Amino acid sequence: MDPETTDADAPKDGSNTQGVYLYHPANVPKAPGERPLKRRKVLPGKQDENTTHPFVPLLDGEETAASVESRYNFYQKLWSEQETKIQGILNDADSGVLEDVLSFVRSTSPQTYGNCIPTALVTVGSNVSSLGRLLARLNDRLTTAGEGGVVALESGDAPNLKTTLKNIIRAAITNTEGNEGYQSFLTDRDGPRLLGYDLDVLGDYVKRKGVTKLVIAFRDSEAVDPNMLTDLLSLLSSWVDRIPFTLLFGISTSVELFEGRLLRSSVALLRGRYFKIHGASNCVDRIYENLQVDENGQFWLGRNITTTLFEKSTDAFQTPEAFSRTVKYAYMSHFFANPLAALLASDASPSLRQNKLCEAIRNVPSFRSFCEYHLDAGSSEYVRQLLEDDEYLFSQSLEHLRAGQQKMRGLFQAAKTIHTCLKHLGIAKDTSISDVSVHALSGELVDSPWVGEILMALKTLDSSKLQELISILPRYLMAHPDLGAIHEDLEYLLQEYKDVTPLRSEYDNSHSVVTTTVLRQSVKLSRGKAKIPQQDVDYTRIVDRFHALTEAYFAEALLNPQDLFLHEAFIIDMKNPLKEVFSPRPRYAIERALARPFDYLISTSKTSEARVSAKQPATAIVYQLILESGALVNVHDLWQAFNAVFESDGGDDCDERMVLTLFYRALSELKAFGMVKSSRKKLDHISKTSWVGL
Amino acid sequence: MIDLPLRVPDAPPSSLSRINIPIPCACRGESPLASTNFFCEQNLARVVFWMQPDPEEERPVSTPKRQRTATVNGDRHASPEITPLRRIKTPQKASAPTPAALKESGLKTPTNRFKAKALFSTPAKSAAPPTPSRAKNADRSAKKKSVRLLQEQVDDDEDDWDGADRLAEEILDDDDVPDPTVEKENGVVETVEADSGEPAKKGAAATPKRRAGRPKGARNKRSPTPEGDLPPHERYFFQNRAGPARTSNTTLNKLNLLTHEEYFEKLKGYADPCQKEKTFLQELHHRSFPQWDFEFDQGFNICLYGYGSKRQLLQQFADWHYHRHSSSSPPAIVMVNGHTPGISIRSIFATVVTAVLGADIPSKMGFQPVEVLELLQSSLKARPSQKPITVLINSIDAPPLRRAANQALLARLAATPKIHVLATTDTPNCSLMWDISLRDQFNFVFHDCTTFVPFDGEFDVVEEVHSLLGRKGRRVGGKDGVEFVLKSLPENAQNLYRLLLTELVSMSDQGRLSDDEEAGNGREDANKEDLGIEFRMLYQKAAEEFIASSEMMFRTLLKEFHDHQMITSRIDTSGMEILGVPLSQQEMTSMLEDLVLA
Repeated sequence: MDPETTDADAPKDGSNTQGVYLYHPANVPKAPGERPLKRRKVLPGKQDENTTHPFVPLLDGEETAASVESRYNFYQKLWSEQETKIQGILNDADSGVLEDVLSFVRSTSPQTYGNCIPTALVTVGSNVSSLGRLLARLNDRLTTAGEGGVVALESGDAPNLKTTLKNIIRAAITNTEGNEGYQSFLTDRDGPRLLGYDLDVLGDYVKRKGVTKLVIAFRDSEAVDPNMLTDLLSLLSSWVDRIPFTLLFGISTSVELFEGRLLRSSVALLRGRYFKIHGASNCVDRIYENLQVDENGQFWLGRNITTTLFEKSTDAFQTPEAFSRTVKYAYMSHFFANPLAALLASDASPSLRQNKLCEAIRNVPSFRSFCEYHLDAGSSEYVRQLLEDDEYLFSQSLEHLRAGQQKMRGLFQAAKTIHTCLKHLGIAKDTSISDVSVHALSGELVDSPWVGEILMALKTLDSSKLQELISILPRYLMAHPDLGAIHEDLEYLLQEYKDVTPLRSEYDNSHSVVTTTVLRQSVKLSRGKAKIPQQDVDYTRIVDRFHALTEAYFAEALLNPQDLFLHEAFIIDMKNPLKEVFSPRPRYAIERALARPFDYLISTSKTSEARVSAKQPATAIVYQLILESGALVNVHDLWQAFNAVFESDGGDDCDERMVLTLFYRALSELKAFGMVKSSRKKLDHISKTSWVGL
Repeated sequence: MIDLPLRVPDAPPSSLSRINIPIPCACRGESPLASTNFFCEQNLARVVFWMQPDPEEERPVSTPKRQRTATVNGDRHASPEITPLRRIKTPQKASAPTPAALKESGLKTPTNRFKAKALFSTPAKSAAPPTPSRAKNADRSAKKKSVRLLQEQVDDDEDDWDGADRLAEEILDDDDVPDPTVEKENGVVETVEADSGEPAKKGAAATPKRRAGRPKGARNKRSPTPEGDLPPHERYFFQNRAGPARTSNTTLNKLNLLTHEEYFEKLKGYADPCQKEKTFLQELHHRSFPQWDFEFDQGFNICLYGYGSKRQLLQQFADWHYHRHSSSSPPAIVMVNGHTPGISIRSIFATVVTAVLGADIPSKMGFQPVEVLELLQSSLKARPSQKPITVLINSIDAPPLRRAANQALLARLAATPKIHVLATTDTPNCSLMWDISLRDQFNFVFHDCTTFVPFDGEFDVVEEVHSLLGRKGRRVGGKDGVEFVLKSLPENAQNLYRLLLTELVSMSDQGRLSDDEEAGNGREDANKEDLGIEFRMLYQKAAEEFIASSEMMFRTLLKEFHDHQMITSRIDTSGMEILGVPLSQQEMTSMLEDLVLA
């Protein structure tokens, strides 16, 4: 802030004493020091474009509008496709429970339950968001069928009986009638005006609208005051003959604990069923698989991001929604800030070609390794052309980009195949597709024990299992001519062979014979091959072919994505935006700012070493002084130390009162941050309340 | 050249390069603090620690109760927390020796301490050594002896907690023995003190200088001992260990505290040395405005954290946002200042409703925030063409908004479609406000927006500091304020206040006479804090002087004082009401003089 702007802000700050207000632009025509704005003023024609999408030109602002546009459009298209997939999975995930609950709601009534209130207990565990989804869909189903609706209450809505009733009534009526409808229900009626918490209003509504089901759902039933709940239950049960209530409790702990908190008399008023929503991790895995292992995939999440994502969702109870939002953010950051993303657009034409973009391509690490590879191979002419001819480079890049995408698809198909094999062969049943993907994305899968074990297991498969395995292999693999041939040969062999026991290859244990020789008092075991029938020999040959084919396939498909040219364009693999954006460490940031202010304030002078000096902001100085002291700090000594810092820097001409002013400001900030508090132990002492690193 | 990562606004370039510099947190030799003697002992004791891992060997004369094997001592220095436990055991052992040995210990410890005091503290403190009489009575009875021994043990522990004093003593003793480590440490300390990079060869010359500085440093004998590079949890327990407070007894009495007027006047003339850097930091944040816009566009809400007030930044973002989207129709932006006292969630919601509905607001919005929120949600639903509304919340973690119920309501606002919330947080632990479901509703993306801008608009600085120091009474304007109020009160009230002051001043004078000898500065201050007169007693005196004829009247007079915060009242342990005055000793005296003279 230069002085002028500070002055300009001063009157604004004066109006800021208001708590809430509508923003009105100041008379200043443009925000101070804003580059895009300035540009827009210069080129007023671009204004409309700017408002259509929020992307800004990259490459020092020299990216062409077409390129920006194509990045944005491609992002929109890609993400809307992915989002549909995710939504489908989410809807699918708890549709089972939804149907159960819906049928429960429809089939039960107080009459069937002997005047008890029908109650559904839904345990959600850590999968908090699923209940909200469930309720929303339940509400949709009930309202569209005209049967009634769902009133979802949170603990905050139910502080006491009066407010709870009021909220229930209002929510139930506004759900179908809207806000005006609610008002008219309250006012337009004969007789005396009813109060907002009178259940008569609701009874009236039920009668007029012919509501048959009214579900009252407590989303976090543990947080609801049990006394209030007792009162509410007894009240509702006395109205249950006039209003068709159904209760639904979302429970995070266990049904027993929930029951234990209620009085027995209130429990006696309820009768119902217990539903369970499954954990989120299954859902997350499915989402991930659907995003990554797509036969037409064009863009992938890299290894680091995958690891971060799954760490978060397992460690921090992340909901599937939050998971997909994180993925979305990864996509967003790629297309927002990576100019190479423009190459991904399917209509990437030579029109996109521009010097800056080509220069950018030449600066990418994968281009360098690509060139090195070609230089080693002796084709220096090719490399020279790439370096000098923009047009050639561009066409080559596009070509390699498409090839790279194809290889990525292959990689994920292979990863999926491995996952299927692992499951089918019973090697590591609890490995998820994400584990396999992480290995695949780091290029380690081909050497991993999983692949080794699969190949080992393949050799010992008997014919029936092999048949099964081949049948579950993905379709596109079957298109491979060699595999087709193997399959045919196998079928042919099996047609010839009519025995019940399946064929075994010679690697099978049942074909090896252990011979025992006693030689000079020591036992020697030796394995020998038993004589094997001709059919088994034939079968072994097939297994060998299959094994060789699989091995070759894995070796080819499981490459390291980091070796692909231009992988920067179609893989995003940076931990940082995601980690900082979704799991921030505000305390660390503040502590760092105070302990090492010059990390942030890029010092113009060279004396920015890590020691306390008057050049630092006052709060930082006091903070560092407090860090060095014990749990109890004498303010006088602190002040003396603070003053000394300024004295030693400024000599005699430093104004002590001014320093005191700064000291005040610093101390008040530390207090507001909760780092110190006043202490009663001694006069003029404060105590430290936060320790670095704890 | 190529912006691969989404530009991370929160890591300024310099931070990237400096991220790995390890900074020792406590007790840095080169700390300029060493010259200010605030933490001087840290340095002193650390020197000894390095050069003398086992001080006991070097000190043949030592008290019996400290006799321990060398290894134990080694341990002791490594982990001082253990010592108290070990010490507790010692008395049994020590009581076994002959009376002569006991006497010896009884004699020796005080002398040692005396020596230490003479060197380390002001003469006033060591003026009255209680030793002679104790020594005389030493062998009167075994019981007394053991009690006294225990007593001494405790005294000694208090003084000699984790042996810091002895370490300091040993530095003195070992001054003659030049040690390279000391030399080095000296050099560092010296450079700071003299503010000139004097080379190590001058170390010998520097020694006398250091000696000259020591009495100054020794004043803070009870300052925390160095903890070296303890892990954070160990540091916590070390600094919070039981035992007397190890800070000096100086107070801010001599310092003239700031008034609001002076504070603001001084602040006006202040020129920030980091102005340029802060401006640059702001620039960096400005560059991410388009990114925030995109995040809004994609349905995220934004939370800004980091040190510094973000009000200006938000204001600028509002300007930017307004101008960017103003081409078709001006966007609605609602600004919220969380630090405004008395701000209510309902008013926030109501403003947002106004922003949506414009002129056709229903006459009754409802009193509950939830009702207003539902009105907002339903009206948003009814207007599908409504443009998104941006709500900029300054300091969402400010005390008025901090309550869990308020956060839950704000989260529901943030979860409403077409409402974009940009919130800023100031405190380090702000993420504790939100549990998983609130976090889910808020749908925040976080950005580090450290601005280093002071919180001038947010905090009432002078008030905060005074309440931190426990001097709230200054709000009335201290002595001047009280005088001002008194002038406007009837004579009876003035007389009553004079009476109260007389009593208090005379009480404190008596108190000073009685415990003049043993009490140090700090204890006296503590007494003053507690100074007060019992309600009944004051009433009696007032009745005697015909100030108040009935208790009713008396109470009425006192109520007036209460209202102006001129008196304090508390209930003591026996259930009696004690009245006091929130003024310092000197102020009371001078005030009394004024009242009597007037």
